Parts: sequence; structure tokens; C-alpha cells
Amino acid sequence: MLLAVCSIFALSIAAPFLHRIAKDYCAPLLALLPGSICFYFISLAPRIAEGKPVEEKWEWVPSLGANLTFYVEGLSLLFAILVTGIGTLIVIYAGGYFKGDAASGRFYSLLLLFMGAMLGIVISDNLFALFVFWELTSISSYLLIGYNHKDEESRSSALQALIVTGGGGLALLAGFVLLGMAAGSFEISAINQSGPEVVHHSLYPLVVIGVLVGAFTKSAQFPFHFWLPNAMAAPAPVSAYLHSATMVKAGVFLLARLHPSIADTPVFVWTVSIVGAMTMLLGAVMGAISTDMKRMLAYTTVSILGCLTLLLGVGVESALFAFGVLVLAHALYKGTLFLVAGTVEKLSGERNVKHLGGLFSRLPALGIAGSLAAMSMIGVPLFFGFVAKEAIYEAALKATNMSGLWIAAMVVSSALFVAVAILVGIKPFFGPEVRELTVKKAPALMLVGPLMLSVLGFAFFFLPDLLGKYLIHPSSAAVIGDANIIVLKSWHGLNAVLGLSVLTIAIGIVIYRFLPKLGSVSESSFAKDPFGAISVYERSLAGVLRFGQWQASTLQNGYLRKYILLTICVTTAFAGIVFILHTNWKSLHLTFDLRVHEAALIIVMVAAVAILVRASSRLTAIVALGVLGYAVALVFMLYGAPDLTMTQLCIETLSVVLFVFVLYRLPQFIRLSRRRTRLRDAIVASCVGALMACLVLVASSEPADSHLRQYYSTKAYEEAFGRNVVNVILVDFRALDTLGEITVLAVAAIGVFALLKLRPPADTEGAA
Amino acid sequence: MNSALAQPAPIPWEALLPLIAVATTGVVAMLIEMIWPRRSNDVIVWVCIVGLAAAAGCVVYHWNLPALESFGPRFDNAQGSVGGGLFLHDRFGQIIQLTLIATAFLTVIFSEGYLREKRLAFGEFYPLVMWAAMGGMIMATSRDLLIVFLGLETLSIALYVLAGLSQKDKRSQESALKYFLLGAFASGFMLYGISLIYGATGTTNVAGIPALFSLELPDPTAVNVAYAGMGLILVGFAFKVALVPFHMWTPDVYQGAPTVVTGFMAAASKVAAFAALIRFLDASMAMKDVWIPILTVLAVITMTVGNLIALAQKDAKRILGYSSIAQAGYILVAIVAWAKAKGMPNLTIGYETVAFYLIAYTVMTLGAFAVLSSAASKGKEGTLLEDLYGMWRRAPFPAAMMIVFMASLAGVPPTGGFFGKLFIFFDAVNANLVWLALILAVNSVISVAYYLKIVQATLRDPEVHPTKFAPVNVGLFATCFLCAIGLFAIVLFIDPLKSWLGG
Repeated sequence: MLLAVCSIFALSIAAPFLHRIAKDYCAPLLALLPGSICFYFISLAPRIAEGKPVEEKWEWVPSLGANLTFYVEGLSLLFAILVTGIGTLIVIYAGGYFKGDAASGRFYSLLLLFMGAMLGIVISDNLFALFVFWELTSISSYLLIGYNHKDEESRSSALQALIVTGGGGLALLAGFVLLGMAAGSFEISAINQSGPEVVHHSLYPLVVIGVLVGAFTKSAQFPFHFWLPNAMAAPAPVSAYLHSATMVKAGVFLLARLHPSIADTPVFVWTVSIVGAMTMLLGAVMGAISTDMKRMLAYTTVSILGCLTLLLGVGVESALFAFGVLVLAHALYKGTLFLVAGTVEKLSGERNVKHLGGLFSRLPALGIAGSLAAMSMIGVPLFFGFVAKEAIYEAALKATNMSGLWIAAMVVSSALFVAVAILVGIKPFFGPEVRELTVKKAPALMLVGPLMLSVLGFAFFFLPDLLGKYLIHPSSAAVIGDANIIVLKSWHGLNAVLGLSVLTIAIGIVIYRFLPKLGSVSESSFAKDPFGAISVYERSLAGVLRFGQWQASTLQNGYLRKYILLTICVTTAFAGIVFILHTNWKSLHLTFDLRVHEAALIIVMVAAVAILVRASSRLTAIVALGVLGYAVALVFMLYGAPDLTMTQLCIETLSVVLFVFVLYRLPQFIRLSRRRTRLRDAIVASCVGALMACLVLVASSEPADSHLRQYYSTKAYEEAFGRNVVNVILVDFRALDTLGEITVLAVAAIGVFALLKLRPPADTEGAA
Repeated sequence: MNSALAQPAPIPWEALLPLIAVATTGVVAMLIEMIWPRRSNDVIVWVCIVGLAAAAGCVVYHWNLPALESFGPRFDNAQGSVGGGLFLHDRFGQIIQLTLIATAFLTVIFSEGYLREKRLAFGEFYPLVMWAAMGGMIMATSRDLLIVFLGLETLSIALYVLAGLSQKDKRSQESALKYFLLGAFASGFMLYGISLIYGATGTTNVAGIPALFSLELPDPTAVNVAYAGMGLILVGFAFKVALVPFHMWTPDVYQGAPTVVTGFMAAASKVAAFAALIRFLDASMAMKDVWIPILTVLAVITMTVGNLIALAQKDAKRILGYSSIAQAGYILVAIVAWAKAKGMPNLTIGYETVAFYLIAYTVMTLGAFAVLSSAASKGKEGTLLEDLYGMWRRAPFPAAMMIVFMASLAGVPPTGGFFGKLFIFFDAVNANLVWLALILAVNSVISVAYYLKIVQATLRDPEVHPTKFAPVNVGLFATCFLCAIGLFAIVLFIDPLKSWLGG
């Protein structure tokens, strides 16, 4: 298993080099690997049909429970065969599609990267490994949709797909983590065996939200459906492979895989059924009223995904059985139709169904493939699509709730499918020629895929026993256990289901007839954006951007004064709140025994501050600041700290002198700030001042009887024989520190000397 | 009672040797520049490489020695002995030291080409990087607030100078000035906070805080002062690690400073400050009823504001600046989860999530800035998104590496960034902070958009004038390569990290 995934990744890395050597023969060569892996999986079928899953385990991050474990049961097997089998055909098809394109090595590389990741999703047992592969498919899908990166539209739709699926992916991760915690294991096989534990866990609602958002975004369910039609900007092989056969099915696959553990609640059943049914109808209607071939196919894919979701919601045995049949049938016919549409577009440059017709004479092989697939999509007997349609009607009939509603929805959407199938698969070839088109010759490589898929869709009708036994039954058994064996039959005889099928085709043909009269619908705003999901996406994207810009221009405007203002405000508020909440005001013992000289000092300080803030010249302000500094020095002296006084006096003098030097070079001082600004600054400054004053009050009411003072004052004489404690500390107790300080001073002096000697060159003096 | 003072403590070389090695390297590098000025810087680069290798060797050599906290006198406060010295030697410190050494090492090797291209080939760059790294290492290996402050200033002052390295570039000058002024404010707040803590506990060692609160009847005034001091110290740290609303310097400084300096600054100062912060918080557990709500609020607004503003940016360096703000928010979530879990039974979360994310963050940030620095050529530099157009064709290797780094920053599996976020998510959920974890997840989604912008820019074809990219030199190549490999390999370290730091 690991070998299979890793070998595809390795080939992905090697592909550009191989392409450089092998040129146009590259594609068939590359296809050999997925082809052989497909055969390997097919060879596992008998073993799995006997109920023996294949397991493999590699440790990765054991402490998290993130391991590379693979667990292949029926459901995984079905998907693995689809991923590798269709992948093989797509690679071959791409060989024709990109014939002569020297840069297409990158395309193969991305396509194989996607294939490896997709294979990883379907066979992983570990939630983390699954998630890693899941995100890898989102990323490779993003790169593949945006493959024509010069085109603005394909870039933006690629981004849209990535934002929707990637965002959903993260919701999924949240869901996975919570699911793992609820179930006590990150291995899906173990979670599924844990019984009702998950459903009854308190985290269950969050688990369901996470998993459903992840699955719905990936599988383009309403209201996240809009990215898929837009993703049709991708080259045809990508649309056929990622956006119809494989990646978009990852969501429903996941729901199916987790079905045993999380599905057994009304919340899950109703959400999934209703969303599925809505998506099914919406997709079918949108498909029928579009005219662009690829969009029509994309919308019907959305519809089928809705149907698959609905089947999972219905959840009875026959529904899960129908799920497997429909996955297989849809992959065959929709893959073909996408490839046919892509080929027609590539060869004729036209993908509007209104303009296509009469191509059969020029593209006979393609015409056969297209019409076979269309028949299958319509559900004509003798095609596998018919079997699928019978199966889903059967499932809807057996649904426990609302059976009639589901059947009606299915019939309506299937009838619309009939119209789409005729328009896309049959009319371009057998319809009347609408306008002259220059059609190139189809390369053989581009025909292998569509022919093979469409013929299989025909042949499978005749092999119900084989398919039922080895693929379909094991896949539904993996989800629901094999209590009742449903036999896959191609022909059920004349019964209600057959009646529904006939009815569907009849309505479908009527719709086809009336569609041309609805011509203008596809231009209406409803057709472009049903229920406004796209505009919600676009508006929220624009809103987030605007919010970011608004913040950037108001908060982040580059003015240092604003930054400082905000910093100070927040700090004051921050410290203030802590302070007010946690200060025990009663414990403060404040005393007010003010002496005359202290009062005088305070008056001097206040006056200095008043002059400072009102000063109209810088020199006055500096002098006032100096007065303030000297007053502080006097305070130190009054409280018996002569050394501090000395330091303060020196620094104050020095800074005043330095200030004056600098001022000398500054331009004339002008008061530029407005009154309001000054008022605001005054308020902020007062708040900071008040806070600091409070802090000082609180801190100074704490008795500071440090044992250091006592220690040094006793030991100074005893051990160092000095009476001046400060001196003793400096030269004896902390002599090494003092030496260090002297060294620092010396180094600084050398630096100052160097700076003084350094004179700026004459031309830069102004700038300096 | 005072006997502890009289005993000279043994010098713990295991904690100091790496510091000495890095500091000496800086001095030697400066001497070389002084003796042979304005010559090729190759010799200095080699000296730095050897010196850093020696420092790393010292850390690894002492790896298995038991944890030890000593050096310098142990003070006893009025309530009794609280233990704790100036420096300590433990696993967390060693891991952060190694991270910082690696940061300096990578910066040195990828800067050489950039500085030459930008005509900034001053030898001063290298000693400043060394000393900044040393400052960070000091912060990581001390629980004494004054020593932490010394380390912080050593780191910061070196960074102020480095930010203004480009003397002809006004933006570089402006950024240095802004950084310095705002940094000085923050330092002032922090120092005031430290002095209040000293006032409350009688020691500058954080060990004094639990000692104060473990008393039966702690002095209410001392408790008040401790709370106020804690608040101010948090402001200082919040500024250093750029938490909203103390973040405003970050984008301006990141944009203005030379790209290599920005890379180093983003990585080293954040790693060191977070390391010191978590040690401080660990000691302040008694006050967590106050700081957990504060940090939770800060985490939420930091992530959200950082990510939303980043969306509106057009300059790659500014985007990364805001991204680093958001990343700081994620780390804060990890810290909050760790703190919440501390009081919960049956749940132990150690420093490992924080350490893991810091390492991953360092690697991806440095790598991203290394790639950006290759957009400088012949004295000019383009860091607008438009300037990156066409990088895919002109410089395919750095462009490819850029995708890896962006993927990791955005948290795309299976990169280190993804696992880092996953661990944080796990811790948060385990600590009953599901809502915080969900905010983290939503923010990760938002962040994808702007990381993608950078990726898209490198893949696009240029419209007007293509930017000249410097030829990829060995240093840049090695840095990108090592960082990219590291991002994938780092996952393997989570289990060892757990066993070293666990609970």
C-alpha cells in the first residue's frame, strides 16, 4: 500500500524529467504505473469479498496517534480501483491533449501528485494520514485548476476552489481531532467498531459539524457547490478526473467510511438527506439550463454528488448498495462525457452546445463513445447507468422516512439528466449542423480513454453477478455490515421501479424538447448565482479585505506618536485594571507629615512641569526639565542617598548640555498640534502619571527591610575593615563587577573617541 | 541565615560555555573587521561558523548533565531561603540555546550574499548577530529577572543597530529609530515591573514569587505589588514578541530593516522572549487567575488582527511581519493551554508544544526571509509582491523552497508548521479550551489566503519589469535546503522533545 502511494509520488517528482526525455511517448509510459497498481487492487478483490480486509501499518508520530495505517475493505477497494483505473486512462488521454506542449511535464507531475494523494485518502485508516492526503488533493487541485496561470479567470477560480475546500479541510481537521478524542482512537477501523460511543459523546455535535463541513465543501454540496462549476477553467483531463470521477467524491466517500460510527442520529440523517436532495435538484436544474458543455457536466456532477449524499442520509441497506452502484456508473459515464466534451473543445474550439452539431462524420469514434455514455446517463436498459438508476429508485422506495419526497426529487433530477445527456453526448454528433466548425483530427491517445470507459459502461450491464459479488456488495458491507445480501441484477422484471425509469425517460425527452424555448434562462441572474451563495462568498471575501485595509490605515499608519500613544494607553489600562482589582486599599498606610522644605520642593517641581508643558521655545522646556531633574536630586539628598544625588546631578547636567547641543541644529519650534490633540495627550499623560504615583505609593508602603542592608553594614567592618559601606561594596564585595564596569567604560570611551574622530564627508552632512 | 551568601557557588560551565563561545566569536569577528577593515567578509563568516559550531558543541557536550540552577549568590528573603541562582542549566534552556545558535548560523551563511548585493557588506553585521544571539541565549538560561533583562537588552540593542544597518535607506533608519524608541518604552515598563517584583519578594529571581504566595498569610501589600509588577513585565514581553496591541512596530520595522536582519529578528527575538516569558509565567502560576484571562484575550486579538491586516498588504515583508504577529498569537494559545492544564488532574502538558512550535516557526520564518533576500541585486531590493513575479522562472530553487515555507506557515500538512498547530490544537482541546482551538483553526484558514498570495506571486509571469534576482549562492542554497529539510524532519523530534520537556 505504502509502496503504491509512494511510487506514485516518486513518479510525480520524476515526471518532468521523464517528459523531457520521452516527449510525446511520456504519457503511455507514465500510465504503466497506475495501470499496474489498478490491477493489483483488482487482484485483491476476491480476498476482500471474503471479508478479509488488507491492513498495513507504519509508525509516523506515535505520540499523537498519527500513523500511516492503510486498511482496504470493500469501499476503499471500489474507490482505489476507480482512482487508479480512471487515472491510467486520464494520463493516456493527457498525452494526446498536451501533445507537443513542451511545458506539460509539470502537468503530469501535478496529476500524479493528485493521484497519489487521492489513493492515500481512500486507503488510509488513520484520520491524520487521511487528512494529510485530503489537503494534498486540495492543493494539487488548486494548482491543476490554475494550470493556465496566465489566465486571470482560472487563477481566481483556482483560488476559490482552494479557499472553499481548504477551509472545509480545516473544519474537517477539527472534526477529526474531536472524533478521535471522542472515540479514543484515530484509526477509522477502530472508531467504527467502537459502537455508539461517539454518538453519545458530548463532543458529537462538533464532530458532526466538522466532518460535514469538510465533506460538503469537498463534494460541492449546497451551499458550497459553486466552486465546482467555476473549476471548469481547468484543462479537460483535470475536469474529468478530479472534478467528476475522484476528488469531489472524496467527501461522500468520507461520509460513507465514517457512516458506521457517526450516522446513527436524526441530526446526521436529516442534515445529510436534505442537503443532498437540495443539491441534487439544484445541480440538475442548473445543468439543464446551462449551455456550456463543461458547466452542464459540472452541475450534473454536483447533482449526482447530492444524490450520493442523499443515499447516505437514507442509510438503509439498499441505499448503501445503490451508493456503490451509482459511484461506479457515474465515474464511467461522466468521465467519458467530460473527455468527449474536452476533446470536442480542443479540436473545434467550441463548447457551447447550441453551436455544436453534425460532428459524427468527422469524429466517429468520439461520437460512439459520447452516445454510449449518454445512453448510460439517460438510463436506457442495456447500460450500466440503467442498473444504477434502478438501484437508487429501489433505495428511495425502501427509505424509512419521506420516501415519496426523495423519489420525486430523484425522478425530477434524473429527467433533467436525460435532457443534459442528449445535449452533451448525442446532439453534438447526431444533431443538425449549426455552424461551420474547423475540426482537427483526433489523436489516437485521446480516444482510448472515452472509448474504453463508455464500452465498460455498456459491458458492465451484462456482468452484474461478478460486479455485485466482488465490488458492490463488499463496498456496502463495509459500511453497513453484511446482514442481508442484496444481489445486483440488471433486470428486475416489470415492477414499480421499472415504471419510474420509463417515466423518467419520458419526462426527460419532453424537457429536452422544451429546453430551447427557455434559452434566455441561462443568462438570468438566478442561473449565474442561485440562492446567492457566490455573492455571499465574494462579499465576505471583500469584507474581510476591507476590514484589513481599514485596520491598516487607522492603527498602522506609520506615525510613531500614535504607536506610543496606543502602547501607553493599553499599558495603563492593563496595569490599572490589575491594580484596581487587586489592591487592598485598606492595607496602605499613608502618612502626610509634610515639612516646609519638602513642600517647597514639591511646588518647585510642579512649577517646573507647568512651565515645561506650556513652554513656547525648546530652550525653556529643556531648562524646566533640568529644574525638575535637580529637584529630584534634592529629594534623593533629603532622604539620605548622597551617591544617588551625585549621579542624578551629573546625568541631569550632562543631558541638559547635550540637549542644548542638539537643539542648536533643529529647526524653529512651532506648535503644530491642535487643541484637541493636546487635550488628549494631557489626559493620557495624567492617567499614566496617576498610575505610576499609585504604584509608588503601594510599593513604598511595603516595609523594605532587606536583609542585604543589614548584612553589608555588619560585614563591611568585620570582613573588609571599611566604614563606608558603599565603598566597601564597590571595591571588596563586588570588586569583579566594578572591574567589569570600568572595562565597559573604557570600551565605551574608545568608541566615543572613534566617533568623535569620524567626520561625515562634506556632501552627506546635511542628511546627517 | 546568611551562610549561603558567604559560600561561593561553583561556576556552572555547562550553562556558561556556549555563551562565552558566542560572545568570544563576536569579539574576534569585530577585531578582524578592525584590523582588516572593508575587506571580503569571508574570514569573518568562517570565524562565526566555527565559533557557533563550538557553542553548539558545548551545549551538546553537556547535554546529559543533570539540571542545575546556580552561579552567583543565593539570596534569602525575609521569609526564608528561596533558592535559585543567576543562571541555570536545563533541557529547555539547552534546546532554546541550540535553536538560537542555529538561527545565528543560518543568518550568517545566507546573509553574506545579500549584504554584498545590497552594498552593505560591513563586518559589523556579524559581531552584532553574535551578540544578539548571546543576549537571547542569556534570556533562555536564567530565571533571574535582572539577568533576563540584561539578555533582553543585549539582544534588543544589537537589533536596533542592525535594523538601521542600511544607512542610505531612510526606511531602514526610520525603522531603527521606531524600534528603539518603542523598545525603550517597553524596557522601561519591564524594568519597573522587575523592581516591583523585587519590592514584593525581596529577590530578583522569579523563584521569589512562588515563595511569596506559598506563605500561609502573604503580606497583602506585597501581593498587590507583585500583581502590578507582573502586569508591567507582561507588557515588556508583549512588546518583544509583538502581541496586539503592542505590535505596531513590527510591520514597519520588518519592512524597513534589511531583509536578513528582519529574518534574524523575527526568529531570534521571538524565540528568546517566548522562552523567557514561559519561565516567568511558570513561576507566576500563583497569579494565573489574572494573567490567563489577559493572555487569552491577547491571543485572540493577536491572531485575528494579525491575520486580517496581513490580507490587505502588498509587500511580502509586511505580510510576513503580520504573519509573525499571528504566529505569536498561536504560540500564546499554546501557553494558555499549558497554563490551564497545570491545574487540571490527569493532564500534564510541558513546554514541548511551545518549544516545538518555536523551532518550527524559526525554521520556516528564517527560510522565508532567506528566499526573500534573494530578490536583492546590485544595491536594489524589491519586496513588493509584484517584485516577486517571475521568480519561478528566474530563481526556481528559492521559489520552490518559498512554497514549502509558505505551506508550513499556513499549516499545510505534512510540514512542521502543520504539526505545530496540531499540537497546539490538541493541547487547547485537552485543556477544555475548545473555543480557543476553533478560533485558532478559523485563523489558520484566513492565513492561507495571504500565504497563497506570496506563492501566487512567485509563480506569476512579470508584467512590466522583471526583478533581478541575485544568483543563488552556496549560503542561500544551504539555508533554504536545511530549512526545508528541517521542516519535514522536525516531526520526528516531537517524541524526544516530549520526553525531555514533558510535564
